[in-house]
Amino acid sequence: MTAHESTRPLLALSAAGLLDADGERRVREHVRECAECAAQLAGLAALAAGLSAMPSPAPSAQLVARTQARVAAELARRRDRISGVVLAFAGCGCGWVVSLGMWGLWDALGGNPAILIWLEFSAVLAGLTAAAVVRRRRRVERSFR
Amino acid sequence: MIYEAAIGEDFPVTETDEAARLRRRDPAALAAAVGRYRHRLYRYLLRLVHDPAAADDLFQQTWLHAAGRIHRYDPRRSFDTWLFAIAHNAAMDLLRRRRGESLDDPDWGVEWATAEPDALTAAITAERSAILAAEMASLPAVYREALTLRFEEGMKIEEIAEVTHAPLSTVKSRVQRGLECLRQNITARWRKGDLL
Repeated sequence: MTAHESTRPLLALSAAGLLDADGERRVREHVRECAECAAQLAGLAALAAGLSAMPSPAPSAQLVARTQARVAAELARRRDRISGVVLAFAGCGCGWVVSLGMWGLWDALGGNPAILIWLEFSAVLAGLTAAAVVRRRRRVERSFR
Repeated sequence: MIYEAAIGEDFPVTETDEAARLRRRDPAALAAAVGRYRHRLYRYLLRLVHDPAAADDLFQQTWLHAAGRIHRYDPRRSFDTWLFAIAHNAAMDLLRRRRGESLDDPDWGVEWATAEPDALTAAITAERSAILAAEMASLPAVYREALTLRFEEGMKIEEIAEVTHAPLSTVKSRVQRGLECLRQNITARWRKGDLL
């Protein structure tokens, strides 16, 4: 393979600025002696410059605004989901703590197991309901902002 | 005090702060990012799919994916490549579903034209933008992508490899072949007098 043949594939890489120092030196040395490759390199360099300077198509303002709104809605939806889970756990925890305090009440009511189940269930249900109410209120508040 | 110390260490305060805000899913930070990247991201998508309606959809899809995965973004890495990699995946999914659009590297032998490059240079100078845009659209998708990321986005070869999930040698080859194909096509058309 002649120097001409081996250097030709490097011309596009040189125009794209992707050659290492050694490759760049080989190209420079070759184009000093080869008018054909020098012209090819000039054409490719002009092409590369043209690509860098092509006019940029702009998205419409509506598309950008619509995207920002959808991203904001998506973030709010995810936040709601996360806070919903956190609130549910917090509600259950509070319900459980309250139910522990009902041991005394259960004891005072005669120690019937059915009453205990009812008291525990009521406490957890109250906690979950409170969490749902808080979550709903947050959502309504956000819709008014 | 902290700010001064950070500047003294040449620490990218703004970028780190912004990355942290993005990771916290701060709506204002994401809205600002949508605005700031609108030209670059839309241009990249349009060059890839060359259909404004599809580019619009992909633009929104990319940002929705980005919003959903923002907690996975590593602030030590470039936000550009992270975002463009999401856009790349979305665009490639669309192109795969399209008929007649190949995503493989074409096995094209480049014809080394002995033609006058003066004609090529003149063509580029005269109707550069129109010719280039039309010829870019006719290139295979992998070449279009490599050229737009390299020349329009000014990305380094390593960044393009990260965006396209391709080895460095493949990216180099795509840029080289893409440029050669573009030169070949423009030279051929200029000779025929089709364009000017």
